[in-house]
Amino acid sequence: MEGRAVALLEIKKLTKHFGGLSAVQSLDMDVNEGEIVGLIGPNGAGKTTVFNIITGFLKPTEGQIIFEQTDITAQKPHLLAERGIARTFQTTAFLPDFTVLQNVSVSCHLHPKIAFWGAIFNTSTYRKKEKGALDLGMEILRLIGLDFMKDDFPKNMPHGHQKLLTISMALATNPKLLLLDEPVSGMSEAEVTGAIALIKRIRSRGTTVVVVEHNMTAVMELCDRLIVLNFGRKIAEGPPEEIRENRDVIEAYLGVDEDATLT
Amino acid sequence: MVKRAGYAAIVLFLFLVPLFIRGQYYLHILIVVGVNVILASSLRILTTTGQFSLGHAGFMAIGAYTSALLTMKLNLSFWVSLPLGGIASGLLALIIGYPFVRVKRAYFAMLTLFTGEVIRLVITEWREFTGGSTGLLDIPPPNALIIPGLLSIGFTSKESYYYLVLALVLMTLLFFYRVERTRILASFLAIQQDDSVAESVGIDTTGSKVLALCVGCFFAGIAGSFYAHYILVLSPGSFMVLQSIYVMVYVIVGGRRSFSGPIWGALILTFIPEVFRGLKEYQPFIFSGILFVIIFCLPTGLAGLPYLAGVFIRKLGRESGGVT
Repeated sequence: MEGRAVALLEIKKLTKHFGGLSAVQSLDMDVNEGEIVGLIGPNGAGKTTVFNIITGFLKPTEGQIIFEQTDITAQKPHLLAERGIARTFQTTAFLPDFTVLQNVSVSCHLHPKIAFWGAIFNTSTYRKKEKGALDLGMEILRLIGLDFMKDDFPKNMPHGHQKLLTISMALATNPKLLLLDEPVSGMSEAEVTGAIALIKRIRSRGTTVVVVEHNMTAVMELCDRLIVLNFGRKIAEGPPEEIRENRDVIEAYLGVDEDATLT
Repeated sequence: MVKRAGYAAIVLFLFLVPLFIRGQYYLHILIVVGVNVILASSLRILTTTGQFSLGHAGFMAIGAYTSALLTMKLNLSFWVSLPLGGIASGLLALIIGYPFVRVKRAYFAMLTLFTGEVIRLVITEWREFTGGSTGLLDIPPPNALIIPGLLSIGFTSKESYYYLVLALVLMTLLFFYRVERTRILASFLAIQQDDSVAESVGIDTTGSKVLALCVGCFFAGIAGSFYAHYILVLSPGSFMVLQSIYVMVYVIVGGRRSFSGPIWGALILTFIPEVFRGLKEYQPFIFSGILFVIIFCLPTGLAGLPYLAGVFIRKLGRESGGVT
């Protein structure tokens, strides 16, 4: 390969079985630095499973995950977060008893040793770090545009804002790679436009993004490259314009065109 | 600033209490309150991670027996065996912690309940070491604190024990107060609300749960150690499941969401059975009655009262304001 930069994330021969069901089958995929990659496919294609394996929430049956040329297969999620892999959940998961700012600043993690003994003895290092976490939290809220609701409780916010909050929390971990599981689902059209602009802004700050999403308009507009899964297998890969025309993909989504074969 | 002055005033008052109190009996109750405050506060720190332990009396027993045996068999000073009692209890928590925190909520509570019972049964059966169900007699009181040429404090009077337990309570609360005001508690609460989210934003959920368990059990051990050298006899009967449940009741009645909750719970629920001494044998009924009332009427516990009262007064104010 003529001096091409090594991918930020490489997935090699990834397979995951749940009992007899194979959710992901021998999947190979690369994500390069600075890209926005879309992972799409019909329901049950294995997209979220891939996310769960990359972030350590599930152990793969077979295969390897390589991040920045280090094998990170089946590491614990919090260690991966420290390494720079952050994610959001499909279910719009945040911490309901915390305010918006608390949600974000608890995500700005510190070195665990400083966090414990420093906190108990209230050292100046600890105080500085704690202040830094709050400032970073505010900065991220400003970037996302949620700073005016910083003291609200997320359960009182509209759904679109909750989705943005989960992205803010993931960003607070200062990720190199951000995995967004259906970031615009349930959003109004205007909100979707805003979210797309936001994700592009996140990318331009130097974070690589992988998106799982069913909203095709959003996916086509947002992503540089798409990877299509069906029944746990990769059936297509390429730029959005190409995928739009791809016969296999259309079949996977809409079924085989019976009329076409009959006539 | 005002807050600090308030705390200082409370501490000063607590130091002066023995001057007002006539009668050893009330001092004894206050000392028991102190032990219960340590137990309840240390149990609460566990609950902030979403874990409920019903084995706290067992961990208290570890501290009590460790410290008592170290002073009796090895002639160690109380001042050495006191922290060792806490450490023994914390170490056991560390060992069982990693497998235990794999399960959550009710299942975790069951595991700790059985652990507490196993500890008690081991103590009962290991006769040559622990004295079996007769227990340990003649535990030495704490060694006198001697500063040569200046003073010597012997532990013969209730007053001296009162000051000792007060010092322990203050140290425990100071520790937990720091935990409360920092991101340690924030990450514990994050875990309580949603494990997966906490883990995904970089919080070591397993490690934090084990840490909370260890810290909680360490202080339970300290409380047990003090208790052993105060009562001077130990028997497994003092560490029944019911004791663990009482500590849990202190926490819930006082309010587990706030720092002061377990303190109020331990204070009030230790006094109630003493006030109604004739009803001592009905204590479990009284406690469960109180628990029911609190759960249904005051889910945030007694510590939530000022807040609710504030809301009520503001509401009254707004209504009367609306009329005029």
